[in-house]
Amino acid sequence: MSEAATPTFDFDPHIYKDADVVKGLQEKLATLADEIGRPVKLMHICGTHEHEMGRFALRDLIPESVEVLAGPGCPVCVCDNEYINMAIQLSLLDDVIVTSFGDMLAVPGSIPLEGERRGDVRMSLLDARAQGGDVRAVYSAFDAAQIARDNPDKEVVFFSVGFETTVVAVAAMLKRGAPDNLSIIEANYYTPPATHLLPELDGFDIEGFILPGHAVTITGLRVYEHLAEQGIACASGGFEPVDVLASIASLLEQLRDDKAIIDNPYSRLVKYDGNEKARSELHEVFELGPIRWRGIAEIPESGYKLRPEYQKYSAARKFAGRLDQRALAGAEHPKGCRCAEVTLGQIRPDECGVFGKLCTPDAPYGPCMVSHEGTCRAWYLYGMHKEKLNVEVA
Amino acid sequence: MSKSPEGDTPVAESTSTRSSAVSRYASVRLAHGSGGKLSLELIQDLFVSTFGGNELAELTDAAVVANPGGRVAFCTDSHTVTPTFFPGGDIGRLAVAGTVNDLAVMGAKPTYLTAAFLIEEGYDMDELERVVRSMKATADEAGVAIVAGDTKVLERGKGDGLFINTAGVGFIPDGVDLGPSRIEAGDKILVNGTLGDHGIAVMSRREGLAMGASLESDVAPLNGLIEQVMAVAPNVRFMRDVTRGGLAAVGNEVVLNQAWGLRIFDVAVPIHDIVEEYSEMLGIDPLLAANEGKVLMVVPDDESEAALGAMKAHPLGREAAIIGDIVKKPEGVALVETAYGSRRVLEMPIEEQLPRIC
Ligand code: SF4
Repeated sequence: MSEAATPTFDFDPHIYKDADVVKGLQEKLATLADEIGRPVKLMHICGTHEHEMGRFALRDLIPESVEVLAGPGCPVCVCDNEYINMAIQLSLLDDVIVTSFGDMLAVPGSIPLEGERRGDVRMSLLDARAQGGDVRAVYSAFDAAQIARDNPDKEVVFFSVGFETTVVAVAAMLKRGAPDNLSIIEANYYTPPATHLLPELDGFDIEGFILPGHAVTITGLRVYEHLAEQGIACASGGFEPVDVLASIASLLEQLRDDKAIIDNPYSRLVKYDGNEKARSELHEVFELGPIRWRGIAEIPESGYKLRPEYQKYSAARKFAGRLDQRALAGAEHPKGCRCAEVTLGQIRPDECGVFGKLCTPDAPYGPCMVSHEGTCRAWYLYGMHKEKLNVEVA
Repeated sequence: MSKSPEGDTPVAESTSTRSSAVSRYASVRLAHGSGGKLSLELIQDLFVSTFGGNELAELTDAAVVANPGGRVAFCTDSHTVTPTFFPGGDIGRLAVAGTVNDLAVMGAKPTYLTAAFLIEEGYDMDELERVVRSMKATADEAGVAIVAGDTKVLERGKGDGLFINTAGVGFIPDGVDLGPSRIEAGDKILVNGTLGDHGIAVMSRREGLAMGASLESDVAPLNGLIEQVMAVAPNVRFMRDVTRGGLAAVGNEVVLNQAWGLRIFDVAVPIHDIVEEYSEMLGIDPLLAANEGKVLMVVPDDESEAALGAMKAHPLGREAAIIGDIVKKPEGVALVETAYGSRRVLEMPIEEQLPRIC
């Protein structure tokens, strides 16, 4: 484990926000960047990381020669049209209640919104609700199960979107016995196979990955060994300012020393092997299969699908006869939306022509502007597209 | 007990579990808003008897009130909240305090209020009575009189429980002139206490979340506190009550198209421990959460310590703080400076705060 990555922590959580510790790390990063002596690109693959980078303006604290890009870390942004369209169609059925995390409600799918004046705008679950659909925001899969119990004469559909951290909760809920009138839309994504894809992209020049602190508590770090084997530095990353900077320090140290390992500076929560128990419960209910990442590609073994014995909870199966199958798939992103490139870290959000114009958080055009995990939204809200905010006092 | 034809049950005095039966009916019915006998009963027995005062008791078409002089500040606001009763307050207190605060932040002395009720048929009469009493108590606390009112009853299903509109009149003393145009670089920004309490308290009750220690809404009339501050800081430039959208909404509104910028130091912003914990858990930013008893003041540098002292001396300002300043550049931007000296834009509130996935 690297020395920079482990300032002596006690268990006071405020230490991870501590200004002196941050200052120490900031200096460490500056020294490392000097020692490396060339521009370096790093990537994180978690929406919460981008959010925290914005909230604490962490890019201000990182040396200019080090660029930290946002990669595919927003489950809402990569959720394929098919599932959004399915949720919308189901919500408009009289006997169906669609439950979803709040983040998903405003994401447009590909069904055109009639009578919309802004242009090529597609329907979201909020639009479906405005048209009379029964759409409810929930905090967890367990809330959805409760709604199903409270409404025995209705079908309740849970829009299950997210990475490991959310899918384990869904597995736990189904394993404990869910009501028969509950089903789920299977839109849960598994990130490691997507990171296999990244190095194959044209012009790929990322030298280090900050691994997503939430998801790796479950998957463990082993699943990213392929990156280290390809010479890409890796370090687990927590979410407090100290955590983020410590993982960047670890990556820079690896680059300075010309090595690529999987470091674990977030070891207070992450174990190299992850959480075996949670994984086995997860794999009792779900198995990995191919899934489409919106606007990117269908990636094998990257989607959690219900195992045969749990398929009675599959909304796609349960409602197969009542869904307009042809209307499910559609154009991947609205015309002009460059979310796929943003998600892959190929362009910055403000390089998209409609960023901040047609597409703003109050009237999102593409999915990356909707979710709190979305890169475009974080950039817009926290002003990351603006020039450095230099202050002049009176 | 006899049943009325519509099936609404008049409650016999002896069987009523209500604190004091202002009406023979356990719940509000359409006739209570019809202008007939039941309307009059409700107005006399509930509104007039609770709110008191000569103007209201006259039951004329308009209240005729004395004019103490000065420019008139005049405002209106409609209120709805789920749940109606929440930790630290209720819709009645909210409706009175909200309008009083709108007047007070203009530098006016709030004096007269009107109250209009839109009530859904079937609304519990006891609850209505509690709301009305709470309005009276809050009006007394603020030193304002409720001088006119109106009641409409909406058919069941056509309204969500209870809506209250309050309009208010206040008088601005000569020499008081507040507005964003008076703000200058170098001014200090003050708030009178912890931010986000109301939003988080209401949300916790609505979602049935256990909060460990108790957190209460800050809903309160602020005219007393404001008067106290203006006595020692006569050159206060600008005030705004911090309500929905929180500090972030006010900050972004004030700075729009101005030739100066607004800087908040995030470590200086008072946040209740529970609010911080809860916000972190749900990914909600306390700077965007609602308040109902907080005022943001922009005060010249040389009066800022006096203003802070006066705030802290008032029961509603014990945790007051100077949270930022007005800067020359960047112009027209509200920004947050972190403990590390890094800066971000103070994010604009977009929609109702919803918990995030991760
Ligand atoms: S700015 Fe909007 S349209 Fe452009 S990539 Fe981002 S989300 Fe898509």
